[in-house]
Amino acid sequence: MRKKEKKLNLKRRNFLASTASIAGLAATASVVPISISNANHTEGKKGLPNFISWKDRDALIVHSDKGIETHRSAIGESLITPNRNVYIRNNMPTMTDAQIGDRNNWKVSIEGVKNPKTFTLAQLKKLGHTTIATILQCSGNGRGFFEHKVRGSQWETGAAACVFWTGVPMKAVVDACGGINASSVYMTSAGVDHKPTGLDPKKAMVERSVPKQVFKDAMLAWEMNGVPLPNAHGGPLRMVTPGYFGINNVKHLGKVAFTEKESSVKYMKKSYRISPIGKKGSQYPSCWEMPVKSWITRPTDETGTVRAGKVQIVGVAMGGTKKVRSVKVSIDGGKSWKRAKFIGPDLGKFAWRQFVYEADLKSGTYNLASLASNGSKKQPELRMENRRGYAHNGWKDHSVNITVV
Amino acid sequence: MKILRFLLIILFYFPLSIQNLIADEAKMLKGLEIFNETAACAGCHTMKAAGAEGNVGPNLDTVDLTLESVVDMVTHGLGVMPAYGEDEILTPEEIEIVSTYVVNSAGK
Repeated sequence: MRKKEKKLNLKRRNFLASTASIAGLAATASVVPISISNANHTEGKKGLPNFISWKDRDALIVHSDKGIETHRSAIGESLITPNRNVYIRNNMPTMTDAQIGDRNNWKVSIEGVKNPKTFTLAQLKKLGHTTIATILQCSGNGRGFFEHKVRGSQWETGAAACVFWTGVPMKAVVDACGGINASSVYMTSAGVDHKPTGLDPKKAMVERSVPKQVFKDAMLAWEMNGVPLPNAHGGPLRMVTPGYFGINNVKHLGKVAFTEKESSVKYMKKSYRISPIGKKGSQYPSCWEMPVKSWITRPTDETGTVRAGKVQIVGVAMGGTKKVRSVKVSIDGGKSWKRAKFIGPDLGKFAWRQFVYEADLKSGTYNLASLASNGSKKQPELRMENRRGYAHNGWKDHSVNITVV
Repeated sequence: MKILRFLLIILFYFPLSIQNLIADEAKMLKGLEIFNETAACAGCHTMKAAGAEGNVGPNLDTVDLTLESVVDMVTHGLGVMPAYGEDEILTPEEIEIVSTYVVNSAGK
């Protein structure tokens, strides 16, 4: 065994010494090797990658150093998800402080407007100021419930958070640029996080187009839950597209363009398409608007033994791009439903609402489920089967089994 | 008689096991070569055994891997990761070799 390691290590030295040949070979693989300078992902003291060593390890499920889920019971007992508990899903490496430099000098260009301009973060702060609460949810949240073999992190409920963003309304930025070009159809946001990697931008750049009217709700955020937007969540500046899946909330924002066509990068054309199992292509819908959804956060199998008697069944519910109107709870696997109460403040249609249903439970086993409605649509019982396990909002898979003693 | 049988077994199987070891070693070295050079996996992934420190895709030392899952991922790609099989960047045999190498090297 030692002999094998020695030989392999020898090969490793050859690899490290022969970057020129690697570059040539890599080109054949359509991937240019990166400068390997951003190793901020090595495992930290708490079992978390160093770039998020400030997070609460106990609140998180680590699928990989790029995919870290919040425990079902840790998404925020007070409506807002604390930054230390918010999930991580990064398509590209998180930028370092050194790469970002002076945050106030961070630049974003605005194109497809009457007067295209480039603003620094300091200049954006003079254009407007607002705070909104939105749900940040990975398109694949719930993928772990799919039964066909789906590549990617096996998220259950915790690739989601409810967050306060502070920044400038996109509308104020558009106004400062004289308005949108009339021919535009999409608002296309691009991150700059591909640059340090040296990868082909068409394949690596996170650039996402959404219908242009989204700009009316959108904002360019520099704060998250009252602190400067952490690099791991796209700092110093991030596009926030309320009601739309996380991928559209582009991190490390470098450009916003109002365009006639959707972006042609892989993350728009090929990835994040909701296609039937076994099929793929840009003809299928993109992961844009989030559907109505809810799930119970307490009690669950994570929260320990449940004592017989009055039990507070608590959860969160979202309406997608519409306000969530009602939630029902079942303690018998969906055979019967009772209306739950919304609790806590209403932070607007893009935030989730907490709900509670008080049940009197005797000893036994129970299947607890929740079913939300936004007035026009309600959660289906079953998931919408699709190739990549996106947009799961079926109530049955999201139910929890508990034992009451 | 028992000793003779034992010796016969040794004589028969030992060369085979040596051959297997050599074959395994050769496969691992080929897998390393594909990982670091042919497919340039090292440009995007960290895996200490290969001396790889890429930071685009997941750190392979921190994820649960099976041969089946790695073959599937390498074949079809995901996000920025190329579809090495679908796009015929690697042959099915090369995919099996590099996947075997990764599964046996990650986390070590």
